[in-house]
Formats: sequence, C-alpha cells, structure tokens
Amino acid sequence: MDMSKRESLVRKTNAAIEAFKSQRLRWVTGRSQVKVEIDEKRYRQVVDSIMQEEIERHMIIGAIKERGPLTVEELSQLTALQPAKIVRHIIALRKNGVLSEAGEKNRQYLYQLI
Amino acid sequence: MAKEVEEEFEPLIVAFCCNWCSYAGADLAGTSRFEYPSNIRIIRVMCTGRIDPTLVLEALRMGADGVLVAGCHPGDCHYQKGNYIMEKRFSYLMKAVDSIGIEPGRVRLEWVSASEGGKFAALVREMTQQMKQLGPSPFRLVITRNR
Repeated sequence: MDMSKRESLVRKTNAAIEAFKSQRLRWVTGRSQVKVEIDEKRYRQVVDSIMQEEIERHMIIGAIKERGPLTVEELSQLTALQPAKIVRHIIALRKNGVLSEAGEKNRQYLYQLI
Repeated sequence: MAKEVEEEFEPLIVAFCCNWCSYAGADLAGTSRFEYPSNIRIIRVMCTGRIDPTLVLEALRMGADGVLVAGCHPGDCHYQKGNYIMEKRFSYLMKAVDSIGIEPGRVRLEWVSASEGGKFAALVREMTQQMKQLGPSPFRLVITRNR
C-alpha cells in the first residue's frame, strides 16, 4: 500500500470516528432496543446508509478543516467522491448550519465551516 | 562486517476485556500459568456494552495492529444485556471498518468467560499469529512518518 493510500485511510478513519460521534448515527446505533415499525433487514439498510452518509460528510468536513475553503471539484479530488454526491452532502450540511459559502473560485462556490 | 539481522514483526494487539468475564479469564490464564504472547495490551472495561466504536477505531488509528473485544458469553452478562448491545454495535462497526478499507481480520469480538483461561491464552496466540500474517497496520507508517 503506497503512502497516498495510507493517508486516505487515515482520513477515512478520522471521518468514521467523527461519524460515530455524531448525534445522527448515535441515535440509530446506540440503542439496544428499537421500537420502529420496520423490519430488522430494512432497519439495517437505513443504518448502513446513514453510516455511509455520515462518514462521507465528515470526510468533506475534515478536508475543509485541513485545507480551508474548497470548491466541489477540489472536494471531489480530495475525497474521491462523485461531485453530485458532494453537492447533496453540501446541501444537507448547509441546512444543518455546518457549512456556508465563502466566495467564488473559477466560477464555483467555495465552502467553509461555520 | 556486521550482518543486518531482519527483526521479526511483533504485532501490537489492544484488547478491551470486560471486568466480569474476560478480564477474569485473562487473570486465570496468568494464575494457571498458560503461556501466551506478550503482544497484547489489555484494557479493562466494566462491560463490553460501554465500548464505543470510536474507541476501537481510535486504537487502530493510533497504530494498533489488531483490536480484540472480549466479553461474557451471551446470556451471562453481569448487566443483563451489555454483550448483546456490543454484538449489535460490533456489526455496525465492522461495516464501517470494511467501508474504510481496513482488513476486517484486525478487529475481533470474542466471548471468554471467567473460567476460560485456556481459551483466552489460545485466542491471544491465534490472534498474534493472524496479525503476523496480515503484517503491520497501514497506520503505523503514517504515524512514524509524521512524528
């Protein structure tokens, strides 16, 4: 495994640690009993998708923390995620008051942490 | 001319053992004089149910080659359902470990009771062997480089 892959592994692990600390994931994984009207298999699917989303969102947050304001394209290069996916996460993160715009670069919005 | 001797890789395994069963099992392994590798570092916790997935991931990030979570057998938990909680949580953790790209063999959940000193020693031997086959943790090089 080369150094860049190792570093990406560290970034992903940091994102996973932050994801497991997040309130959203704790709500669904921290419970011993879940009283919901869906079956176990469907619940697992929901938890898995939440976990994946949280890890990806924290990869975005981690990249901005490390490098300062970034565009979707730059974020895509740093996190190896599809730009469309990044845009979806940015919409959610903006809605949650985590990110905001910080000007423009190459006719693209820059995003910063609030 | 001094001949370079290649050192054998000695893995570092972090074990989270529950106070009531696995830690007592590890203790019994010691008092019964069962031999097991010294590659393991045991952290005593009151119950596996209090082990947050972040603790396991943090141990891996800090350079542990393997992480062992050992608790009471299902149905034997001192706090009734702590090990069931961990079992469920562990499946989520393994999903995350897999999606990050860490070899799943580096993290294990095992049930060891207070009377299973032999099992604990065998488990440590087996896990050390497994870690030697997997090789050093990919985090190690990053940590040593950034130092």
